[in-house]
Amino acid sequence: MKDNKKIKYLCISILSVLAVIVIWYICIDVVHMKPETVFPGPVKVFRSFIDKLSSKAPDGATLQAHLWSSIKVALLGYALGAVIGVPLGIAMAWNKWVDRFVRPLFDLIRPIPGLAWIPMFILLFGIGITSKALVIFLGALIACIVNSYTGIRQTKETHLWVGDVFGATGSQKLFRIAIPTALPMIFTGLRVALGTSWTALVAAELLASTKGLGYMIQQARAISRPDIIIVGMLAIGAVGAVFDALLHLVEVKVAKGMNVK
Amino acid sequence: MSMEQERGIESSIIECAGVCKSFKTPEGEHQVIKDFNLQAKENEFLVLFGPGQCGKTTMINLIAGFEKVSGGSLKFMGKEITKPDPSRGVVFQSTALFPWMTTMGNVEYGLKMAGVKKEERQKRAQNYIDLVGLQGFEKSYPVQLSGGMRQRVGIARAYCNEPKVMLMDEPFGALDAQTRYLMQEELQRIWEAEKRTVIFVTNNIEEALYLADRILVLTNCPATVKKEYIIDLPRPRNLVSPEFLALRKEITGIMDSTL
Amino acid sequence: MKKGVLKYRTSDKTVNAVCACIAIGLFLILWYWGTAATKLGMMIPGPIEVLQAIGRGLFGKVGRHSIIAHVGYSMMRVMVGFAIGSLVGVALGLLMGWYGIAEAIFNPLFRIIRPIPPIAWIPISIIWFGLGEDAKIFLIFLAAFSNTTLNSMAGAKSVDPEVINAAKMLGASERQIFTTIVLPASVPSIFAGLQVAISSSWATVLAAEMVRSSEGLGWMIVAGMNNNDMIQILSGIVMIGIVGFILAIIMRKAEEVLCRWNKSGE
Repeated sequence: MKDNKKIKYLCISILSVLAVIVIWYICIDVVHMKPETVFPGPVKVFRSFIDKLSSKAPDGATLQAHLWSSIKVALLGYALGAVIGVPLGIAMAWNKWVDRFVRPLFDLIRPIPGLAWIPMFILLFGIGITSKALVIFLGALIACIVNSYTGIRQTKETHLWVGDVFGATGSQKLFRIAIPTALPMIFTGLRVALGTSWTALVAAELLASTKGLGYMIQQARAISRPDIIIVGMLAIGAVGAVFDALLHLVEVKVAKGMNVK
Repeated sequence: MSMEQERGIESSIIECAGVCKSFKTPEGEHQVIKDFNLQAKENEFLVLFGPGQCGKTTMINLIAGFEKVSGGSLKFMGKEITKPDPSRGVVFQSTALFPWMTTMGNVEYGLKMAGVKKEERQKRAQNYIDLVGLQGFEKSYPVQLSGGMRQRVGIARAYCNEPKVMLMDEPFGALDAQTRYLMQEELQRIWEAEKRTVIFVTNNIEEALYLADRILVLTNCPATVKKEYIIDLPRPRNLVSPEFLALRKEITGIMDSTL
Repeated sequence: MKKGVLKYRTSDKTVNAVCACIAIGLFLILWYWGTAATKLGMMIPGPIEVLQAIGRGLFGKVGRHSIIAHVGYSMMRVMVGFAIGSLVGVALGLLMGWYGIAEAIFNPLFRIIRPIPPIAWIPISIIWFGLGEDAKIFLIFLAAFSNTTLNSMAGAKSVDPEVINAAKMLGASERQIFTTIVLPASVPSIFAGLQVAISSSWATVLAAEMVRSSEGLGWMIVAGMNNNDMIQILSGIVMIGIVGFILAIIMRKAEEVLCRWNKSGE
């Protein structure tokens, strides 16, 4: 009976997506409720997608080139943020002197969204890869620190006592007890950070860039090509979803046995 | 014929004949209850006593109407049980209180759902809060109460709907020994004050003997009735009287042979 | 509530406060010295200049408005978009979490839309709604909506089935269960969603103002960039931090009041 229900719901889901596309098609391509320069129909969007795979018009690069350029910058900033943020978060939670001196500074920059730094970095470093990577770095750093910190703080006192009973040294307690406890939270941080990195990158590319998906959709807006904007948005969404899915796979592998949902 | 029917309804409130229950698992059908027969009479304190995971909770879920039988018939006042009903109150082991409601909110919930006016339902709820000895804690949230007090709220909540049958699923299972004794005494007192048919599940022999009019000893999974004991010791019972100890020894012996 | 190991005793509080002061003091001194004594000062203004600029601009003029007015513009956009977005998000999320059929219909659509960051909607929203307030409110609506939907759905799904059984046993109808059990039980996770939603809304309004606007804090920093005015950028960033901080505090307080039942009585 449960299986039947699942199949029924799956059918409803597929129908629902199809219905939206059909309504979209009817509204734009049949009834012409809005002109294509404002709201293109699904056929037009699909054609633009195919075109954009090979054509460099109107913004000087193919879809793949933009995609690759964005991914490169995002991963660079993200990797830096993760490599520094996770150990820093762990150190802040584990050592109270680090906590006492670093956390106040951290609390100062935490409420500032990463993308608010864009203008400053652009003035300082120009519109090249450095300023974009820095913005992404900051966004990823904050998410990684917050989550690693909370994760380590969740270590149970009794578990550390067990460590003491068996004569574990401080570093053994950190690596064998506290970090495994924190692992699910650390992974949550890494996933959140990837999301914010990707968002920050799009923002940076919208504002000042010469390549990348954000640049592509901004250019398309300037010449009123909403079909290319929608292609770009879907590409941005797809990359974000793929990144998230990949990290989730790693998470399941690494944090086996921990409470991963 | 009609006489017999009438008497049947009057004497047994819950009637359970050849009930089976199995769950689908990846390894295939898992039978939890097999050919279960039971009759609960009016105002009787009936205890289902059995080992660990023997399907006692499933039996309570079936009588409550949370789950459906796979075979056999399960009747309440002559009608097949299909869904939960306020006339069959349940006290859960986990208490299952509504954590965002105060004691009063929890106890009056059933009356509120039935559309009873505020003044009336608070008066009636207060009555049961007093009965379980929680005066002064009406405005406390469950997190602010101790384990025993939470279970008192659970009992008052079920009682407040004035059900015909009270189903209690190891209500004191999560309490410490001291609180458990106290709650057993309290339950005995509450039950004497407000007689109901009670079906009480436990795996604690002392608790069973202290409370029961009748004990059904169950086999381990799949659960079925192995033996029935009528307990007619005078109440409140003395836990160290020779009769009590003899019964305890006998039932424990049966249990051991089941395992 | 689980107690972490690494909680400090209260006597440590003073030490913490002193350390915090030292750390922030050192940071300010380093910033001051760095800009006053090295070449860095040619690019970055010192802390005193930034504070002075904020003091001057607070009720004076940065562009066409005072800083207070810029904050007001940004906040108004956030409030309207956030209110609509979170209302719709909570309603849709709870429905999706509780009714399988609602989930089957809306979840696939939601899953297609959700990975697209609200900021990526900026160009299309300008085409659809023009350069006025509508486009910005639409963007913030999106930012608030997707976060609250997800968390409300998770909340409605994780309601303890035994608690639902208890409500059924007490005679609650399907609709009563939804309004009296599922809704309040989801409040903590709804609030977790609202916390993320408010900071995401705040970031989104800044991005929207940076791309196209003539007022608001986002405009302030991007205008600073266009005029090569680092002081204006930094004072804008400071104000953004302060507002972001206040928003987070307000959300936390609201949660404390509404979810009192969820915390153990201390």
